[in-house]
Amino acid sequence: METSVGVGLGEIAVSQNRDEILVAFGLGSCVGIGAYDPVKGIAGLLHAVLPEPLNGSDLTSTKYVGNGINKLFDEMLKKGAVRDRLIIRMAGGANMLTSPGLSKTFDIGTRNIAVAQSVLETQKMKIVSQNVGGNIGRTFRVYVADGKMTIRMIGEKETVF
Amino acid sequence: MTELRSIFTDEFINLLTKISKEGIENASKGFSGMLGKELTVKSSSAKLIKLLDISKMLGGPEDETVAIYLKTEGSIAGQMMLVMPCEKAFGLVDMIMGEPIGTTTTLGTMEKSALQELGNITGTYFLNYVSDNTGRSVRPTPPAVMVDMCAAILDIVIATAGIENEEVLMFDAEFVQGELSTEIQFWVIPDPKTILAYGAK
Repeated sequence: METSVGVGLGEIAVSQNRDEILVAFGLGSCVGIGAYDPVKGIAGLLHAVLPEPLNGSDLTSTKYVGNGINKLFDEMLKKGAVRDRLIIRMAGGANMLTSPGLSKTFDIGTRNIAVAQSVLETQKMKIVSQNVGGNIGRTFRVYVADGKMTIRMIGEKETVF
Repeated sequence: MTELRSIFTDEFINLLTKISKEGIENASKGFSGMLGKELTVKSSSAKLIKLLDISKMLGGPEDETVAIYLKTEGSIAGQMMLVMPCEKAFGLVDMIMGEPIGTTTTLGTMEKSALQELGNITGTYFLNYVSDNTGRSVRPTPPAVMVDMCAAILDIVIATAGIENEEVLMFDAEFVQGELSTEIQFWVIPDPKTILAYGAK
């Protein structure tokens, strides 16, 4: 029987249990990074909140995009995944505030996307597909059974991306 | 990194509680005035909460939610938000427009504009109280109305307050209007630097 495993703010989930679905609910400006090793059947999902830490912040926290991506890969590799095989998809990073005067100040979503793309590029990890930006929230699911990744927006059906 | 907890003396907490209680009561007067209906402040409090726990303060993360969001400008920085389930927002629009409850079923430009005005008045009444009692100038930005998944909307607060902080101070209140059975959350999240500046005095 399928079981949903919620991945909260700043959290990472890694699973090899084919019955599990990893879910980051309602990503707004946050970004979700999903990764899957098709040979080992290992799936992972990061729910990152902020682009990067400021001086004095908790530099190791996985709520930051860069730290989160590194930790996600570390945990998957520990379980036996192979870096070169990882299929990576990204969703989220919306700008939830569209009001003039507010949106620019708060566009953390765009910065989250940019940092994630930069970190992955530096590590020579390719993003296979992404559904990012805009000004709408998304729920991101990773199906451990086959590595399928989906998004759902409010009032819409779940779609594979 | 700011350490809010370090300045939370009993005296300072009492001051914040007073500001939140009386400011929120003033905000409810603005809200009631616009609706033309009496509104009750069911509860209000000032609390320090972990940033990543904000998302657990409301219902399901995918619930369709409406938020009216304002930022404050001037010598006191912060954020304000009225948060409610979608059906509640429809009811509020009906009241503002003088229509029977149940008339509004979607939020178009006109309906959002009505909610913006409600947020504007509520926020302004709150800030007027704060300004009168602190001698500091403070004003709201134009409000933004969002309709989306609850968790996605809360990302705004989490991302903006959380850049430098693991915890945020939050005043929260529940407004109850007789004809509408569920509550409306009114949140005020002062900028931590502002709170620290006041707390140090």
